[in-house]
Amino acid sequence: MGAQPLMRIENLVKHFHVRLGAFGERAATVHALDDVNFEILEGETLSLVGESGCGKSTTGFTLLNLHKATGGKVIYQGRNIVELDEKAMRPYRRQLQIVFQDPYSTLNPRMTIGEAVGEPILFHKLATKAELPQKISELLADVGLPPRFASRYPHELSGGQRQRVAIARALACQPKFIVCDEAISALDVSVQAQIINLLLDLQQKYGLTYLFIAHDLAVVRHISDRVGVMYLGRLAELATREELFEHPLHPYTKALLSAVPEADPAHERSRKRQILQGDVPSPLSPPSGCRFHTRCPIAMEVCGKVVPEWREARPGHMVACHAVTEGLPG
Amino acid sequence: MSVVPVTTPAETDVEPPVSLWRDAWHRLRRNRLAVFGLMVVVILAFTAAFGPYLTPYDFLSQDLSARNLAPSMSHLFGTDDLGRDVFSRVVYGTRTAFLVAVVVTFIAVLIGVSLGAMAGFFGGLLDKIVMWLTDMTMSIPNLLLVVVINASLKSPISSWMEGRYLVTLNPIYRETVWVDFLLVFGSMALISWPPYARLVRAQVLSIRSRPYITAAQALGLTNRIILMRYVVPNALGPLIVAVSAGLGTAMVLESAFSFLGVGVNPPTPSWGNMISDGLRVWQHYPHLLAAPAAVLGLASVAFSFLGDGLNDALNPRGAK
Amino acid sequence: MMANDIRPEASRERLLDVKGLTIEIETRRGPATIVDGIDLHVDKGETLGIVGESGCGKSLTMLSLMRLLPNKIRVTQGEANFAGRDLQKMSNSDLRKVRGGEVGFIFQDPMTSLNPVMRIGQQLAEPLIYHRGMSKAEARNRAGELLKLVGIPGAVERLDAYPHELSGGMRQRVMIAIGLACNPQLLIADEPTTALDVTIQAQIVDLVKELRDKLGMSVVWITHDLALIAGLVDRINVLYAGTVVEDAPVDALFANPRHPYTQGLLASIPKLSDQRTTRLSSIGGTPPEPGRRPKGCPFAPRCPLVEQICHERVPSLEGTGKAGAHRVACFVAQRKLEAA
Repeated sequence: MGAQPLMRIENLVKHFHVRLGAFGERAATVHALDDVNFEILEGETLSLVGESGCGKSTTGFTLLNLHKATGGKVIYQGRNIVELDEKAMRPYRRQLQIVFQDPYSTLNPRMTIGEAVGEPILFHKLATKAELPQKISELLADVGLPPRFASRYPHELSGGQRQRVAIARALACQPKFIVCDEAISALDVSVQAQIINLLLDLQQKYGLTYLFIAHDLAVVRHISDRVGVMYLGRLAELATREELFEHPLHPYTKALLSAVPEADPAHERSRKRQILQGDVPSPLSPPSGCRFHTRCPIAMEVCGKVVPEWREARPGHMVACHAVTEGLPG
Repeated sequence: MSVVPVTTPAETDVEPPVSLWRDAWHRLRRNRLAVFGLMVVVILAFTAAFGPYLTPYDFLSQDLSARNLAPSMSHLFGTDDLGRDVFSRVVYGTRTAFLVAVVVTFIAVLIGVSLGAMAGFFGGLLDKIVMWLTDMTMSIPNLLLVVVINASLKSPISSWMEGRYLVTLNPIYRETVWVDFLLVFGSMALISWPPYARLVRAQVLSIRSRPYITAAQALGLTNRIILMRYVVPNALGPLIVAVSAGLGTAMVLESAFSFLGVGVNPPTPSWGNMISDGLRVWQHYPHLLAAPAAVLGLASVAFSFLGDGLNDALNPRGAK
Repeated sequence: MMANDIRPEASRERLLDVKGLTIEIETRRGPATIVDGIDLHVDKGETLGIVGESGCGKSLTMLSLMRLLPNKIRVTQGEANFAGRDLQKMSNSDLRKVRGGEVGFIFQDPMTSLNPVMRIGQQLAEPLIYHRGMSKAEARNRAGELLKLVGIPGAVERLDAYPHELSGGMRQRVMIAIGLACNPQLLIADEPTTALDVTIQAQIVDLVKELRDKLGMSVVWITHDLALIAGLVDRINVLYAGTVVEDAPVDALFANPRHPYTQGLLASIPKLSDQRTTRLSSIGGTPPEPGRRPKGCPFAPRCPLVEQICHERVPSLEGTGKAGAHRVACFVAQRKLEAA
């Protein structure tokens, strides 16, 4: 792949400190993100998948510096942006945008659609006041909404329309990179497809790079160039879409893929799912060694003791698993 | 750049946009009790503003030949033991009640909103201090505090002013009515702000964690813009409801203090001191008690209905 | 014991039969129809999937049968027979015996559907004491068995746990155990896996399938996810804007969807064989809001095959397959099938 890296994430760590007990007497640490390494290439769609609590959303928030990183670096345009304060961060904010899951709550209910979309344009001085109405109309057209929606309030719109507005608002900043944090998860199936198409169209039109955070593997399979699988705050596997879906290496990825239902009754009735036993352990006290070893069907002794190395198992195919490493030549 | 076809959603609705406020107004209008409350409040406000210019008699003018008259065409609510027209006094009392209620609520809201918003937005030690202050204030019995303030401050200030008048002969120091008002305003505001502070703090805390605040931060907007355009407008609804109810409470409170003699002093008419005067002779002249008491009751009920109505109108999902 | 009662010829016996059910919501502009004269039925031992997008009335239809509708929403027409009795005419006390007794419910959110201040053992024992007249000790025993049945490890110890001490998947298992407590003839599952992760979702689907086969009950599974129930159900009803637009055996529906809405739904599910750059086929627009239903077919404004007649008249659900088992409510599809 010839694309240049847009962003490099190095050893990113995010811990949340919480207080437990009836009187908050016990301090504890949530290991939301530990030692995460990957690159995001210019113009690609990189997806992060995993179950709730695996740290995929935290990754999105932390690399945009919306959550302060506990450790590690996010290198963007030669600078480590996670160490910047809010003021120094501002020029980067414009280029790095995010679209959230719930379109019902990410728009200020007291602002019209036009105001919501126009605000970042004026704030970042991307147009004059006189050009603003024209600009707003263009952005609404980009996301498939007629210009008269500018005078509407969020509560008058359907979920899909609101998500279009949220996308228009992100686009208003003329960004290079958009984190889509479960951006389509709350939408109905038929509307979901509309928004996916819209995201793909906009990517082509403006050369955007997406970090797509989702739990629906069918959608991820459709829109991603590369896919990363996370488990309990660590990356388990990262590869191109074809590699990951056709030759998954990590036992967790395999289990995850086998749980995805297919729209085929005969196949569904006869299939034998590889069902994972038990639940995801608490991120308050993650298992030692490989975090997946407590549920792993092929766990070995070493898995509970040593954290598996994050290494390239095949060209461009990263994985962290002792079993895979042992099976590798050399 | 090539034009990319985009799916256009069906354009079914053609209704004009409805803002949340207009929507709330629509709902309020359908609530009969709230409309009644609103009408009474508007009439009372009008009375407070212009009533004293429209009354047939001066509220101070005494007519000792026409004492304790029963209600009649010439004296709608009759006259009191000094022959003053009760209707005119009730009208002027409305002004007193509104003045006290509005000023006190304004000060209380100002203190409460600033402290509450800061506590909610910045959190930490500031939050702890503000909440401690709020709890402290709320734990002191209201009446006791006001009585103490009045008793300890009123006479020293009055005698100080008398002394200044004798020395300077400046007429500013002769008029002691506004000292009354100042003390009433001050002491009432002092006990009225904690509920506003608590409410606003809770609002800000909940709004702060809303996704649209994170979305605004992600756009790079500054804290000031976020506070002014996102936090405050969204906290406004519940505050309006609280203010509406608070105005009614303040009126009742003022009457209660005047009744006890720690509020507005005679001869300035206040519903409270009129009730207090009327109570002494109610067996003989019930109208002297009935007129101010009825108006006070009406005002209190009206504000409460309006507050409830606003509450339902501004929280459509909370309504049944 | 129940499973033995069902002989092949008895399997076509109707357990639940809903006819012309209409549900309205009160709005500012007056009453608006949410469910418009729905007909549906469940046979003994059958698993029915009800599929539709949010707001199509799929949950309300089932809730209305048990008189569990929220305020401002009410049934204005229709009848519902369950095991030969009319649910709409039943007294409240009789209906309470049906709820949780003969009909078990599993709701979407196991956190909010469980009482947070009650131990799960007690919550399980309650219907047993109420419906089955068991003693406390008997009920506790049975509760332990039920937890074992739904695959909760350390079942007996977990009886004394509070809901917040369990994970989401475990809580949903508890909900299923409560739904099954009285050996219901019908289990209604209202999007029971929507709040759960994929791997847990698969566990729950497999669990219900296994329990159904073991206990021989009928199941109604309400969902928005066609793929999820493909391997679980016998028959699917597709709902759109409060009407059944297609009713078909599961294989026929996936192999040969006839209603343009069903076709659109199936086509908008991404497939493995898709190229990344292919656009997903999507259905333009959004479903009508209650009170703004079009005059004719409710799907007409979004339909790619729309004709003049669709704007004028509402199509009825007509049988088209050999035995009329595949029914569709669409003028265009019906005409095509007649011509063929």
